[in-house]
Amino acid sequence: MTRASMGLLVAAAVVMAATGAMRAAVPIAQGRTSSPTAVAPHVVESPGQPPDAAFKDDVHARAGLTCASCHGGPKPGGGYATIARTAIAPLCAKCHADAAYMKTFAPQVRVDQYAQYQTSVHGRQMAKGETRVATCSDCHRAHGIVAVRDTRSPVAPTHVAQTCGRCHGDPARMTPFNRSPDIPGDWSKSVHADALLKRGDTSAPTCSTCHGSHGATPPGAESVANVCAQCHVREAELFKKSRKAELFRSMGQGDCLTCHSNHHIEPPQASWIGLDEKALCATCHDDTMPGAAAITTVRAGFDDLQGRMAAAREVLGRAETAGMLVEDGKLALHNAGEAHVRLRVLVHTFAAAPFDDVLKEGVAAANEARTVGTSAMSELQYRRRGLAVATLVILGFLGTLLVKIRRLPAT
Amino acid sequence: MGPRTSPEPAPASGRRSVLSWLLGTWSAGVLGAIAFPVLRYLVPPEVPEATTLSVKGGSASALAPNSARIVPFGSTPALVVRAPTGEVRAFNATCTHLACTVQYRTDLEHIWCACHNGHYDLNGKNIAGPPPRPLTEYDAHVQGDEIIISKRT
Amino acid sequence: MRTWLTERGPVAEVQEAIAHKTVPQHRYSLWYYLGGMTLFFFMVQVVTGILLLLYYRPSSAEAYDSVQFIMTRVPFGWLVRSIHSWSANLMVGAAFVHLFSVLFLKAYRRPREVSWLTGVLLLFLTLGFGFTGYLLPWNELSYFATRVGTDIAGVVPGVGEFILTFLRGGKDISGATLTRFYGFHVAVLPAIATALIGLHLLLVQYHGMSVPPSVEEEAARAGRSVPAMPFMPHFALRDLFGWTVALALLAGLSAYLPWELGHKADPFAPAPAGIEPEWYFLWTFQALKYMPAHILGIEGELVAIAVMGLGAVALVLLPFLDTNTRRSRAIVTWLAVGALVFMVTMTLLAVGGSQP
Repeated sequence: MTRASMGLLVAAAVVMAATGAMRAAVPIAQGRTSSPTAVAPHVVESPGQPPDAAFKDDVHARAGLTCASCHGGPKPGGGYATIARTAIAPLCAKCHADAAYMKTFAPQVRVDQYAQYQTSVHGRQMAKGETRVATCSDCHRAHGIVAVRDTRSPVAPTHVAQTCGRCHGDPARMTPFNRSPDIPGDWSKSVHADALLKRGDTSAPTCSTCHGSHGATPPGAESVANVCAQCHVREAELFKKSRKAELFRSMGQGDCLTCHSNHHIEPPQASWIGLDEKALCATCHDDTMPGAAAITTVRAGFDDLQGRMAAAREVLGRAETAGMLVEDGKLALHNAGEAHVRLRVLVHTFAAAPFDDVLKEGVAAANEARTVGTSAMSELQYRRRGLAVATLVILGFLGTLLVKIRRLPAT
Repeated sequence: MGPRTSPEPAPASGRRSVLSWLLGTWSAGVLGAIAFPVLRYLVPPEVPEATTLSVKGGSASALAPNSARIVPFGSTPALVVRAPTGEVRAFNATCTHLACTVQYRTDLEHIWCACHNGHYDLNGKNIAGPPPRPLTEYDAHVQGDEIIISKRT
Repeated sequence: MRTWLTERGPVAEVQEAIAHKTVPQHRYSLWYYLGGMTLFFFMVQVVTGILLLLYYRPSSAEAYDSVQFIMTRVPFGWLVRSIHSWSANLMVGAAFVHLFSVLFLKAYRRPREVSWLTGVLLLFLTLGFGFTGYLLPWNELSYFATRVGTDIAGVVPGVGEFILTFLRGGKDISGATLTRFYGFHVAVLPAIATALIGLHLLLVQYHGMSVPPSVEEEAARAGRSVPAMPFMPHFALRDLFGWTVALALLAGLSAYLPWELGHKADPFAPAPAGIEPEWYFLWTFQALKYMPAHILGIEGELVAIAVMGLGAVALVLLPFLDTNTRRSRAIVTWLAVGALVFMVTMTLLAVGGSQP
């Protein structure tokens, strides 16, 4: 054998050994971690922690992997070689795209992350050699990687926006790509951020919910409604059947976005509906166009119901403070509230007809609530009047008794 | 005019009897003001008990398999379901996500919340969508043609 | 009719006794009405209590809802319940005023020691009525107030644990406590109270009303007897007057200051801030707060309870401790003043929300 081919064989053997070591299903009990050696400072992903310390918490460490598993053997002077940014995703994919291998650690685990990544904007840019986009370690960390459901993970639902925001909220990073750095900030003011971060409702969408995580791409104009429809089923159904769907498509408007925006989604108000200048409808509609009547009717309906509910709430509150019990009224008000929710969904038909039926129900419930409140107040008045009568009778009695006592013969 | 022989008391007894009469009338009034509420109280009201532990869920024969109805239970709505298999079940109809009222979907043959697409199976367990917890189940018994639903204590 | 009855029972004798009963008239006579006032409130409690019994359910699952049912669905249920709650408080108030008036007017002197004894026991019973009744609506405030109250009972060394378990029907406040308190409130305490009230009234009739020492001395010096008014009709009609005013007061309070129901008790929720017992226990509650953690090595709370216990014993034995000399009576007066000032101050401090 020639020296070159010997060398090649040795190199091959080394590579195989290295990959074999990486892939070795070392029982967790044996978990080897290499002894900490002096490490040259490099990109620290886990805040404030050097890699060897961070790695102690890592799921890979628990699975028995070591520094060498990813970095190869230590450098002659100590420390480990840095992995090139373009090489990170393929490196991770060596295991995470191998179904048979991954199954030995967890029976039900996805292995399409790399394939998804390659379809994403980040993946495509990275493939072209643009290293200023995200790769695996930017979101999951390089060392100290924990499961997505672990609340310490930067990709746990409550942290996702913060993690994406590290680049997408940074003007310095976004300007070279001509992208707005305002989006994470916009999202943080939305109802979804409120639900997720303030109320702890983990079903609320964050960046990855709508854009995907590994295959992150903004949904296109056709698919916006489909994305929102994951949760807002009824609204999407009604919208698709309404005349707006066709219209918006032909205008290239992104369905839901037109009225609700994509990131800074605010709680919808009745004042959005109308022909006055503050209303959303007025962006396109005026009172000469078809639909003006429907808009006016719908807005009037909302105002009417909200007014009645407010009146009912006020009188029920007064009755309760006065000591009357008004459970029936509260139930009726709850039902009126339910009708109100349904009305807000029915807005998406952009027609007056189905709206009217539910409006009637809501108005009836609100009226009932108000009636309970007012009858409680009049019951209170009735009680006080009854008391006044009884007191008068008692006073009459006391007066006469006093006279009788005075008239008694002296003792 | 002769010497007055009639004694002093005559006008006084007149006053006394007026006084006694007045006193009698007023005391009757006072006693009446006490007796009236007491007697009304003793008569049982139309709904003889608090509807907080159990409530009527409507006619059993009018509830076909794979259908449901909403009835008020205290201050919250309750969902009374007859499963496709014929069993009657009842749940607190308040969705555990954001408190919308759930409904029964005959096409899906299980319970659904329209607000954010939450799904519950016929045991009340949350099986898809945002709801974090199952629906509270009530006991449902059929007595004659009446469904009685009651809270589990 | 009357003759028929007269033949069959001691009707004539009772009538004679009432006709001859007199009540001393002097500058302190007003205080004579207080015993009857307390009795009036008690009778109101019995009547309204029996009415409430017809609709109330003594189980932890149903109690709160049954009270709400009474207040919203039963005709005049709101009136019956509010009167019951207000009358309870007014009864305790009247009982205390009656106690202090007897203390200051020295009506416990020989031969009225047994009357005094029954009276003090009746006071303790009244407090017991208040404590047990307070839990029955099973709302937040009452649940936690009962817990605090029974906790204090458990502080007593030795028997404390037993007393606590006996009161609570278990280690903690539960449905068992409710049933037990209900039994005490509607059966046990009323039975004992009826017997004691009967004895108390009988003795009052037997001995007649006591005349305060100063009035007695004045009359002795002037060489005449203390003027008196016939019980029937003079005193009785005035009594009736007072009772009717009290009735009007109860009705007015119920219409303008109806008794709250609050929220249903949730044993698993943390105690809301500012839990305190009813006003007549506030002085003990506040006094306990001021006790230092330890006094001479004994727990401060324990010392306070011991002192209060000794006070109660002293109260019971008072007629035997007071030797009826001028000096002895003066000491009792000053002690009574001190106790009154202490109780009022502590109550006001508690109401004002002051913390040690």
